[in-house]
Amino acid sequence: MASNQEQAAMAYWKENVRLLITLLIIWFAVSFGLGIILAPLLNNIMIAGYPLGFWFAQQGAIYTFIVLIFVYVFKMNALDRKYDVYEK
Amino acid sequence: MDLSLTTYLIVGATFVLYIGIAIWAKAGSTGEFYVAGKGVHPIANGMATAADWMSAASFISMAGLIAFLGYDASVYLMGWTGGYVLLALLLAPYLRKFGKFTVPEFIGDRFYSKTARVIAVIALIVASITYVIGQMKGIGVAFSRFLETSYELGLFIGMAIVFFYAVIGGMKGITYTQIAQYCVMIFAYTIPAIFISLAITGNPLPQLGLRYRWRWSVPAQHPRQHPG
Repeated sequence: MASNQEQAAMAYWKENVRLLITLLIIWFAVSFGLGIILAPLLNNIMIAGYPLGFWFAQQGAIYTFIVLIFVYVFKMNALDRKYDVYEK
Repeated sequence: MDLSLTTYLIVGATFVLYIGIAIWAKAGSTGEFYVAGKGVHPIANGMATAADWMSAASFISMAGLIAFLGYDASVYLMGWTGGYVLLALLLAPYLRKFGKFTVPEFIGDRFYSKTARVIAVIALIVASITYVIGQMKGIGVAFSRFLETSYELGLFIGMAIVFFYAVIGGMKGITYTQIAQYCVMIFAYTIPAIFISLAITGNPLPQLGLRYRWRWSVPAQHPRQHPG
């Protein structure tokens, strides 16, 4: 039987990996997905005067990246506190 | 005061500042040399990292690439910034917890493998050489224009200055000079962007300029709908 501590470590790691996978899927989707693969299709849509695919490649993806890093930091800090491994 | 004298004074002052910081932050130990004694505030570190993002390669080369290639150059924008997400999510937290100085050291110890370490070293060398070629080209162009010398001489002078403050200060010196550079570059980036946008479209926000022209602006040509 794994000790409580080991179980907590496993649960922590599992949540950590789940967060990473979610964020990296978004990371891939906005850049490769919306900015490159679907760009020709999205360019038919104009949002505020810009073709949407072009906008994602040049601005949207980058804004999303910055948000992703912040989300990661906040979520990980919350996770660290939950499992009591937070470092000051 | 004529323009070239002003340029010499301002650029000269920034170099005095950078070298001054390097001497002030002189590294006394290995820990100080590689990780700045781990005593750098996160915000300060973020500023230093941002200065890496917007150094010569982006300032000169990427701006030019995007101007000429339009949509096709988006891969540089996305790759440049997207890499930071990978770094922040997959490498930085673990490197920090592991307490090693360099990425190859971390990879080698983490995966108990000399091969992994060698591969990390090769990847690092390939990436840094590519990066340094871009940077050095930028330094050469900037210095030869600024000092009105040949490209090679400009490159050597620039390299000598960078070498000097990198070797003396180590990571601590570099971090603090990068913070100073961050402040200088933020101004050097945003002021022209805002004023060019104002001049062309009357809108001070470059991101929105071509779309939302302000009434009193000069009529410019129609924006390119899809540069690609």
